[in-house]
Amino acid sequence: MADGSTTQPRMKIGVVGAGFGRGLAAAAARTGNDVCVFTRRELAPVEGADGSPLTLSTTSNYDAVGGCDLVFLAVPSEYTQPVMRELGEYLDGRHLVVHVSRGLVGDELDTVCEVIKRETSVRRVGALAGPLASSVLVDGNPGGAIVGTDFPEVAEAVREAIGSERLRIYETDDRVGVEVGSALTGMLLFALGYAQGIGFGPSTVGVLASRGVSEVARIAELLGGRDETLSGLACLGDLVSAVAGDARPEMELGRSMAQGLSREDALAKVGTHVESTAVAKRICRYAERMNVELPITNAITRVLEGQLSSAEAVKQLMGRRVNRE
Amino acid sequence: LPSPKLLLRRRLQIPQFRKTPISPDDPRIFDFNAERELIIGEVVSRVFHGYAEAGVALDYILNETAHHEARRLESQKDEETGARLDGWQKILRKVSKMSEAERVEALRGIIERYTRDVAGNFDPRVYRFSKSIVPPFVGATMRPRSLTKMITEPGTAELTRVLRSDGDPNLARSLVQAGTVVFVPTHSSNLDSLAVGEQLVRENLPPAVYGAGKNLFSNPIVSFFMHNLGAYRVDRRIRAPLYKQVLKTYAAVMLERGYHMLFFPGGTRSRSNMIDSRLKLGLAGTAVEAYARSLIRGRPRRIFFVPITINYELVLEAETLVADFLKDQGKARYIIEDDEFSRLDRWYSFFTSLASHEGACVVRFGEALDPFGNPVDAAGRSLAPNGREIDPASYILQRGQPRLDPRRDAGYTRELGRRLAESYRRETVVMTTQLVAHVLFRRLVEVTPGQDLFARMRRRGEAGYSRAQMLEQIGATRDRLLRLVREGEVQVSSTLRTESPEQTLERAMQALKYHGRPVINLEDGQVTAEDPALLFYYQNRLVPWADRLAAPEQMAAAREIHAMEGSG
Repeated sequence: MADGSTTQPRMKIGVVGAGFGRGLAAAAARTGNDVCVFTRRELAPVEGADGSPLTLSTTSNYDAVGGCDLVFLAVPSEYTQPVMRELGEYLDGRHLVVHVSRGLVGDELDTVCEVIKRETSVRRVGALAGPLASSVLVDGNPGGAIVGTDFPEVAEAVREAIGSERLRIYETDDRVGVEVGSALTGMLLFALGYAQGIGFGPSTVGVLASRGVSEVARIAELLGGRDETLSGLACLGDLVSAVAGDARPEMELGRSMAQGLSREDALAKVGTHVESTAVAKRICRYAERMNVELPITNAITRVLEGQLSSAEAVKQLMGRRVNRE
Repeated sequence: LPSPKLLLRRRLQIPQFRKTPISPDDPRIFDFNAERELIIGEVVSRVFHGYAEAGVALDYILNETAHHEARRLESQKDEETGARLDGWQKILRKVSKMSEAERVEALRGIIERYTRDVAGNFDPRVYRFSKSIVPPFVGATMRPRSLTKMITEPGTAELTRVLRSDGDPNLARSLVQAGTVVFVPTHSSNLDSLAVGEQLVRENLPPAVYGAGKNLFSNPIVSFFMHNLGAYRVDRRIRAPLYKQVLKTYAAVMLERGYHMLFFPGGTRSRSNMIDSRLKLGLAGTAVEAYARSLIRGRPRRIFFVPITINYELVLEAETLVADFLKDQGKARYIIEDDEFSRLDRWYSFFTSLASHEGACVVRFGEALDPFGNPVDAAGRSLAPNGREIDPASYILQRGQPRLDPRRDAGYTRELGRRLAESYRRETVVMTTQLVAHVLFRRLVEVTPGQDLFARMRRRGEAGYSRAQMLEQIGATRDRLLRLVREGEVQVSSTLRTESPEQTLERAMQALKYHGRPVINLEDGQVTAEDPALLFYYQNRLVPWADRLAAPEQMAAAREIHAMEGSG
């Protein structure tokens, strides 16, 4: 129920990080927004709405980002703190900041939004998550995503920035649920890849996926989110998209380790940053402190640490007493 | 003739024969009575137009309100039922046949009646009187024989010793000059409002307007002061959304007019004695709106929140509160009217137990926040995490324009709530009884692994230590606590910090005698947990740090306790 005039000036959009950020910048530029990408390298042009090449403007100064209304933060979660500490100098209460990181920070499992709020004076934050592959953003293939935020205007701004007839942006006020789902879907994908790698069929994948989502929902609740959010785009939707063939490095990592590669070798083979598997061990430690049982996360951690062979992992998970779903 | 009970609930006011002189240096609230009618008018108009602008049909509001009220009065069955039930039933029967003009008149009438019931009264004479008399008066309940001395020599009361101030009240003193201050204390006891009120006087802070539950008026002494010191009345039995809207609007109008306020974000008293974490921030939410309106009008007036923790060695109503917490969910009472607070004999016993205990109640002032959760300095400037000054107006700008937006403000208020909850943890002052209770309760959990709370409540006299072991545990647990204090995670009372484990145990046992039933037993060199419910209650203040207060071999028990966080 905002009052005042309905015509609003065009939004200025800043994007920090040029990996996944390039896709966000492309989608935002294609819808006619004024976009600026913070990066120290040159960006290849993207395809505009009319098919012609579109050059994205870049900057290596944070003060240029401070001049934007909406800022997308597309850096790995472990860099959130240093980046926001520096960028925070140029931000205040009028900025909207939305991140796409897939991680939880530190031993207390802070969400990236919490870190942004701790390091800056920005309050209107949100997390963009779901099956949002680069192809959807860069090439304009049909797709959807979800914004978790306490502030409706943040979701509206994201919709205005990158939403279109082909890209549906949903919203929820369960920001924590979205952030936990986004951070832990990768961990479940590792488990699914691992299960496939040791030769299990679709039935096992189905059981592991659904029990995994249910476990992630418990973690989300522990951290202040709502369990139903995990059955949506932020976790289940993302998971289905990856299993359906959206090449995600976490699954490849799982398959490679199931075939006997060490974690280091498997990571080298995947050749990209895999954020969400690093969080498994910290989740286990946190859950132990909170007296909560997480069998799947526990098994994943031990496999990743090389403490559990594939046979032992199967035995540990399948040998548990069966309860009500 | 009205019953004596009803008389007590009436607004007892002293007749005013001539205008009380008010000087320009007097606090803002001294103007309240002169503005009272204006405030009521503004609240009525704003609530009414709020519905009209939102396009809500008036017959819907009338129906909803009358339905809630008729249901309440039917179950209440008291004097109010006789006086009012017919009126509400009449509205229910007639609303569909009313003309629009009649609906407008009926709704405005209801809003005005609610507002008049809520709006307080401030009598500067009672305030000046209470400044010198309240402490001795309450003190007198500790030692009735010294009552004469108290009245003839104000300021010599025991309360001076029992109550202690901590934290940074100087910041609050600066902020009342720079804008409007909202004091937000934790809530354990009905004595909280007295303790904070007294502390504001001692720290030379102006009185604050606060919403007092109607049940507080059950104590005649408190009732008199509440009626005359600006308290507005909150009847928690009224569930109609219209009434809640009146309360929120009243708070917003008072804030906009620059009245300092006080309210308890915990809502009701903490039943479990865990640190308030699930905060009800409806009234805090009005601060963003009040600030935004002042900005849109071009006369920005800043608003600051000052968190306060109230820390007791003993809680007057502990037995009733914990019993209520331990009832099956759903049976717990939202409003308790017959607890220790309404019994003067328990007041006497309570203060007697604390008479020799200096600093048995510590009121600690935390760091102030703006409505968006940013820290503020003494000049009232909002600060970013790196200490840079930021403009709070930036939070209500949308594409460069200040806007009113209740959904956005709800987001800010949630964030403020999170920051207040963090502040409450950091500013909690751990008291002697709490630490001793924690050591014994942890022992109980250790010897009953995996059992549920209710099973443990039945294990009277079963868990404990030899006296020597108990002292060792107290010493070791206190040392770990002091480490957390050094890390800035929590505070500790000066007695707990300085006394030996022997003195600590002795002090706790002495204080807990107030409860009239053995809580901790010391016999034949054995210390045992006699009353698991009260031990649970007092130790609950330490739940957030349970795992960091335990030795490695106690970790399983400590984690079970730590996992209770958020359940209170």
